[in-house]
Amino acid sequence: MNKLGYALRRNPAAAVGLVALAAWVVLALVGPSVLRFSHTAMDMESQLSAPGLNGHALGTDALGRDILSRIVYGSRSILSVALLTSLFSSVAGVALGFSAGYFGGKIDAAFMRFLDILMAIPPLVLSMVVLGALGDSSVGALTLIVSIAYTPATARVARSALLSCKSLEYVDAARLRGESHAYIMFVEILPNAIGPILVEVTARFAYSIMMIASLGFLGVGLQPPTPDWGMMVIENKTVIREAPWAVLYPSLAIASLVIAVSLISDFLAKALIHDE
Amino acid sequence: MTNKPLLSVRNLGVRFPSPDGEVVAVRDLSFDLGRRETLGVIGESGCGKSTLSYAIMDYLSAGARRSGAVLFKGQDLLLKSEREMREIRGNRIAMVYQNPYSALNPSLTIGEQLDEVSRAHRNLGKDEAREASLTTLRELSLGDPEGVARRYPHQISGGIQQRVCIAMALLCRPDIMILDEPTTALDVTTEAVILDIVAGLKERYDMSMIYISHDIGIVNKVSDRVAVMYRGEIVEHGPQERIYERPEHPYTRALINCMPRAGVKKELTALNTIPGYVKRRSADEEGCPFAERCVKRSPGCEDDYGLAELEPGHFAACGRAYADERPWTREAEAAARATGAVPEIAGAEVREATSDENGPEPLLSLRGVGKFYRNQKKTVRALDGVDFELFKDDVLGVVGESGCGKSTAGHVIAGLAAADRGAILFDGGEIAGSWQRRDRRALREVQLIFQNPGRSLNPSFSVQAILERPLKKLLGVKDPAERRRRAVEMLRKVDLGEEYLSRRPRRLSGGEKQRVALARAFLSSPKLLVCDEATSALDVSVQASVLNLLNELQAESGASYLFISHDLNVVNYVSDHVLVMYLGRVCEYGRRDEVVTPPYHPYTEALLSAAPEVDPARRDKPIRLKGSPPDPTRPIRGCPFAGRCHKKIGPICDETPPPRLALSATHHIYCHLPPEGLQGAVRL
Amino acid sequence: MASLVLKKLGGMALTLVAMSLVIFMLVELIPGDAAQRILGQSATPEAVASLREAMGLDDPALARYARWAGGVLRGDLGESAYMRGVRIADIFWRRVGASITLAAASFLIFVPLSIVFGVLAGIRAGKLSDSIISFFGLATMALPEFVSGILLMALFSVRLKLLPIASMIPMGESLWQNLEILVLPALSVTFVMFGYVSRMQRSAMIGVMKSDYVRAAVLKGLPRRRVIFRHALKNALLPTVTVIGMNMGWLFGGLIVVETLFGYPGLGSLTLSAVKTLDLPLIEACVLFITAVYVISTTATDLLYGFLNPRIRFSGGAYE
Repeated sequence: MNKLGYALRRNPAAAVGLVALAAWVVLALVGPSVLRFSHTAMDMESQLSAPGLNGHALGTDALGRDILSRIVYGSRSILSVALLTSLFSSVAGVALGFSAGYFGGKIDAAFMRFLDILMAIPPLVLSMVVLGALGDSSVGALTLIVSIAYTPATARVARSALLSCKSLEYVDAARLRGESHAYIMFVEILPNAIGPILVEVTARFAYSIMMIASLGFLGVGLQPPTPDWGMMVIENKTVIREAPWAVLYPSLAIASLVIAVSLISDFLAKALIHDE
Repeated sequence: MTNKPLLSVRNLGVRFPSPDGEVVAVRDLSFDLGRRETLGVIGESGCGKSTLSYAIMDYLSAGARRSGAVLFKGQDLLLKSEREMREIRGNRIAMVYQNPYSALNPSLTIGEQLDEVSRAHRNLGKDEAREASLTTLRELSLGDPEGVARRYPHQISGGIQQRVCIAMALLCRPDIMILDEPTTALDVTTEAVILDIVAGLKERYDMSMIYISHDIGIVNKVSDRVAVMYRGEIVEHGPQERIYERPEHPYTRALINCMPRAGVKKELTALNTIPGYVKRRSADEEGCPFAERCVKRSPGCEDDYGLAELEPGHFAACGRAYADERPWTREAEAAARATGAVPEIAGAEVREATSDENGPEPLLSLRGVGKFYRNQKKTVRALDGVDFELFKDDVLGVVGESGCGKSTAGHVIAGLAAADRGAILFDGGEIAGSWQRRDRRALREVQLIFQNPGRSLNPSFSVQAILERPLKKLLGVKDPAERRRRAVEMLRKVDLGEEYLSRRPRRLSGGEKQRVALARAFLSSPKLLVCDEATSALDVSVQASVLNLLNELQAESGASYLFISHDLNVVNYVSDHVLVMYLGRVCEYGRRDEVVTPPYHPYTEALLSAAPEVDPARRDKPIRLKGSPPDPTRPIRGCPFAGRCHKKIGPICDETPPPRLALSATHHIYCHLPPEGLQGAVRL
Repeated sequence: MASLVLKKLGGMALTLVAMSLVIFMLVELIPGDAAQRILGQSATPEAVASLREAMGLDDPALARYARWAGGVLRGDLGESAYMRGVRIADIFWRRVGASITLAAASFLIFVPLSIVFGVLAGIRAGKLSDSIISFFGLATMALPEFVSGILLMALFSVRLKLLPIASMIPMGESLWQNLEILVLPALSVTFVMFGYVSRMQRSAMIGVMKSDYVRAAVLKGLPRRRVIFRHALKNALLPTVTVIGMNMGWLFGGLIVVETLFGYPGLGSLTLSAVKTLDLPLIEACVLFITAVYVISTTATDLLYGFLNPRIRFSGGAYE
């Protein structure tokens, strides 16, 4: 912890990221209760009104919906789905990657081959095809599919984190004590491999945000009435000349959130992996 | 010493920033290096030896702060610009590094890496530069220099890589060559060849050398003068014989005395030790750097401290400690040392020789054990039909160079890997090959100590967790209070206090870690302890205390040790029996005194001849092996050592496996030569 | 070396076969009746049944896979299910050509840019220029393609009015007559790849600059230029080659978003419309192509890496 504090002081960018992420979380939690407009209400008087007009701080879209409200509501879904997918894919990745790496040999070779094949389909393409074909983009389906699409990558990271510890002699010492495989994997190795895995969880969080936004943009993400940042961009793309704010603010929301998380992930990578 | 110094270091200081404040790596350091002189620099790790060489070369990390002066031919190198330094580096002052493989660029041919030096400094054309490179390689008696020049670093062996690095440093005929532990990464027989080359360089090339090493035996071989570094300072320097024979500083004397040497055996004496370990030095620390660990510490020590010339050319930072011994004779010191009566050896006690005259009982027997590692088409025969016995209450030392199978033997016995062939008999019965199939009793009674204690203790666990887990798992101690009591009791036995229970390995020194590992092993009262290079990663002063502890624990517990080491002096010190291995096979086996005295197996003789001798007076005509061990995947029909043997008879050595030749009831070798042919000089 | 090439190519062929199976099964898993979907809910059961018959949907899965795979090998990608009577091969390759042009354009921009800036940041690690490049790299990597696309569009099309908003090709004209429509889509792809590759290049460079052999090169008194270009770069480029190759598949995935944003008539927008219309044969063709790009570029990278790295090119016993 002390080391983290020292590193944070030397890396102000990470502190900025932390503050920005905290701001988004607070906004998502308490924002809706203080907003003036509902995210679905269509204000027919002020369609495409510029920021600041008629009380719409960030303007309105073509249907007269308040951009600010939609962004704040959208942050709830994107934050929660991204958090869940990064956790699910990490847990699944650790379970799979650890097992393959630990037992090694043929199991590992077959597993890696299988991962190679899965990774040949870009996660975005995989998620898009499956979600589009299912015709179901509920929070549950989205979380599940994106988690599956990301699991091969997290499994690889977990496997290499395990392999960097597996050859160390404390693992041999545990074997010669007659410890079980599960004990060695999760009690002996996991605490020492946690650095790269934590970094992967945060990086995966950033990737999940990008993915969910991109799926929304492609029209196979969260479905209305749930506001989705990616969908807000594509909906208003046609009016980019008349009302650039309608696409710019959601885009900036995505950018600020992903950059904030990436800065944190970058910092963790420096503090937990490279400095050891 | 009469000539004007070529290099004169004056009050050099180097400091690095760290999270806990500034750390001093080199402090107020001064010395002169004359023409055609070799200065040996010794000290334990963390004493600033390497930092000193990089400070001279002006190659320190960006945050480092330097003070003082480095005068080379009268000019201060610390004041030179990067561009000016470029004219000096590799040209007037050249370096050779510890690990030749990583110092060579993997993507460029050897030839290109050599040529570019002459091209940069001597403005030679392409062909002239190549010619210069080949000439220098030839001068270092490298056969087929053209072939070497065409190859990439990974295509040549470690010994040749280091010769290439030396050639690279010689290309511009430098004034000074700095060698930073150039043989530490090499096997002992290769090391001997490189040391022979290094010893002849300064005469041949008219240059001065700075030779950095942790090993006083090596430094003695090549140096005219020796400087002893401790925590960033030179605490003593002077002519090589004087430093070895008459050290004045308590650290120098302690360092020399704690190395196992020829003739020093566990029956005669415990090794001298230095309490504590090398600590980092903070910027605000003043006074004698060694005071904390010094046996000669006295009130007023701190005030009377500083490098002073005690005799012409011999400087020491402490003149008081052994002032009463002057005048001093070499014979008196040697006699005192041999009987173990050297006064400063704290806690030295004479152990009785283990009496195994009336038929020792074997604890462990290996019968034709083979272990093969297959990858794709090739098979490495790590162990190829190994037989030997280890007796109860006995220490069997296993020696050999890397790749000889000694570690594999340890792993097979400990149960980390199952043998592919043969049987392992332990305490009257055959035991299962691998840990998965061994029962709790076998796991408990055979314990393994690893080379690197930093890697054998889980960094996430406290010492308490590390010690209590085997109590629970292997001994079934259910009561937590009882576990804790036993853990504390065991910690005391390895000279650590109860306060260590809550610490994590990160906060322990190397020696403390190995003590914890020993405590963990002895908690389950093993009958057999396999020590796989257990002291090789430790500094000499720490190694000595761990060796003493191992001896005490053995005397107390009656356990047997399989002591695997590449270091003949250490094996000679701790063992009752010795096994010499080469390429997965046994060369020689017998009681220690039988193995280290003639008749020898030719490989044993070569190994003994290559071992760096601590005592410079004990030099004799050396035996040097050619090349390196053959490709372990190639099947061998005859004697594995035939290709490099200096006593090879003829085709029989290549064609027929050597017979087992019993030289006494307890001593046998595998060789075609008759016993008369196995004589040689007494070497250890 | 020759056996290594053969081995890699064999592995690639096997992977492609496995890929096609995975894709086929994935599409098989899509719920609902394909014939029903084409004809709509109001179709009579007889009509659906006869279409099923005509499409061969009643055959066992393995037979259908064999028929499909056999067709693919002959260059016949089947008939679109949505656009009745249109052979997929007739529209497919033109779209692929457009996408490859776009990918190549961004490739030509991001590869030199990210290597140059990555190396620059690496050798100036910790200095201001490094911080700026690194932050820019992190930011561009963190932006989804459509966000950077929107930002570029807002700047160059809306504000500066330099480039077209949409990247449509007018009827009767070819891509080559409308090269300006490539600029913004290519830049959007470049953004993401730049961030990724330049960061990799930077850390590879830092690692190499800390290596013993670079230290040895400096202490040989070589000019800094030679240390960086001959000693460091030669080794630091190796991981970058791998990273670029491994991400060609990702690049094609990213094209879906970029082409949709700009309305660019490439493979990506074709894939999206295939998904939207549940045109199964077209989905299969598109996804198979994208994965084939990944598999082939990965294999090519492996081979190139082996060729560039002497430790693999000359892997043999040590010379005595």
